Order: sequence, then structure tokens, then C-alpha cells
Amino acid sequence: MAVLTHERFEGFAEAFGGDVSRWPADARDAAALLMAAEPGFTQGVLARAETLDAALDAWRPTPASAGVTARILSAAPRLRRGWRLWLSPAVLGAGLAAACAAGVIVGVQLQERTSEASEVAVTNTLSAVSSLDLEEGA
Amino acid sequence: MGEADPDEALLARVAEGDPAAVRAIVARKLPRLMSLAQRMLGDAAEAEDVAQEAFLRIWKQAPRWRPGQAKFDTWLHRVTLNLCYDRLRRRREILTDEPPEQIDPGPAPDRGLEARDVAVRVSRALGALPDRQREAIVLCHYQELGNIEAAAVMGVSVEALESLLGRGRRALRTALADVVER
Repeated sequence: MAVLTHERFEGFAEAFGGDVSRWPADARDAAALLMAAEPGFTQGVLARAETLDAALDAWRPTPASAGVTARILSAAPRLRRGWRLWLSPAVLGAGLAAACAAGVIVGVQLQERTSEASEVAVTNTLSAVSSLDLEEGA
Repeated sequence: MGEADPDEALLARVAEGDPAAVRAIVARKLPRLMSLAQRMLGDAAEAEDVAQEAFLRIWKQAPRWRPGQAKFDTWLHRVTLNLCYDRLRRRREILTDEPPEQIDPGPAPDRGLEARDVAVRVSRALGALPDRQREAIVLCHYQELGNIEAAAVMGVSVEALESLLGRGRRALRTALADVVER
């Protein structure tokens, strides 16, 4: 870590102000060493810089008006069209109705298939029984 | 780039049009843009126009933003400064044709300086600085950017930034001698 000379310390205060935490990161440790070693000199330099900092801080910006905030928000991106469409009540309602209808159709088909399967199973069983009878009779 | 960009995730949500993210980025950036533009232009109404234009650029840029290239805040400061310089240039073109109005040089000698007077004096002193010195002071003092980030926004070395800051603050100290030496 480089040692700060008086001149360099004054240079940093002149450029970055009286708050050492706002000086360049690589100068802060060396500044702290000089402040510990020579508090009289360093405090005088920082106090002088702080008077200018305080004057600069007296000028506070006017906050943005409600009007400009509203104009900015009104120009902002909207939810992507696809999502907006899917989230609209009409599409949600139609989707729900379609899902119900699909459920009914699938249910009916399943029921029909189950009946068909049962019929096939019964027919197979009957055929087996008849062939058994025939064999026994033979 | 070493550290993560604190605005990146929010910007991605803005690009999706997430209303909460849009409100959040306005709350986060609008005060900073107003501060930057007012300090550069010395005019609150013009600063609002600049802030509005800067947000149009944000809305346009959000879907195209490529993480890892630059910090969003650095990009936003550069965009806003460019918009300020456009206005300062136009202002100067008008002023070359019309002589400027006489500006009140300061408070009357029989009354003390109040906070409002100091603010007006600072505003004028800052406005009288060369552009690059004012820009350096606005970025480092008011916007609280670190020296590396401020130098990146200005496109100069950190040494050049320090020199601009030093010269700017010395000029301000002279212009505001009666305020700072009280």
C-alpha cells in the first residue's frame, strides 16, 4: 500500500470531497493511516472540503411530478399479447367450458370402451365354456 | 465484469411487461434521472422531459438488453447525459442569436444567505462550469458513482476524472466563496 503524501491527501479531498468513504477504494486505507498519524492536518483538510460538500447538498432536486410519472408508466411495455389473451376472462371461461366438454367426451368413450371390453370378455368366456362342453361331450 | 448488475433481473421482468417490475424500475430510476438531469440542465421542467425520453429508451432497450456487457445504471447515465447535452447544445444555438437575460448575481448585501439562496447560488455556479467539469461533479457528488464507474460513463481515465473534479470544485469554491468560507 502506497503512503499518501500531504499533497496527495489534499488532492483527493479537493476532487472527491471531505467524506473519505467516497474516495477511490484503493486510496482509503492509505488515507486512514495518514489520518491516524496526523489527525490535525487531515482533519483540517477534510473540514475545508466538507464546507463545499454541504453547500452542494443545499441544492436538492425537485421530485418528478405525478404527470410525468403517469406518462412514463403509460408508455411502458405491456404484458406479452399471448399471456394477456390467455389471462382474459373470456378465454379463461371458454377454456374451462372446453375442458369440461372434453372431460365428458372422454368419460363417455371410456365407459363405452369398458362396456365393449366387458362384452368381449364375456363372449370369450362363453366361447371357452362352449368349447369345453364340446370337448367334454366328445 | 466482476460484480453482478443489481438491475438485471428487474430489467428482464420489465421486458416481459410485468406491471410490478415496470413500477419498481420507475420508482428506482426516476429520482436518479431527475437528479442527474436537473443538475446538468438547471431546470426541473426540462429535466422531466429528459427523464421521460430516457424511459422511452429503457422500454425499448429492455427486451434487447444483453447481460454482462455493461451495468444498466452506467448505460442509463450515459443515455441521460446525451439527452442533456442535446438540450444544452440547442440552448446555446438559441443564445447565440439572443443575448441572455441579466441574472441576479446573488443575495442583497443587507440580508444573510438562507438555504434557498444557497441552493440557487449552487445551481448557477454549477451551471457556469465547463460541461465536463459539471458532469464529473454531478456523477461523483450527486449521483454518488465511484470513480471507476464515473470515468466509464464519461469515457475518460480515472486520472482525467480526478483532474476534472479538482478543477470543477476549485472553481465552485471560488464562485461560492461567501457561502463556503462563512
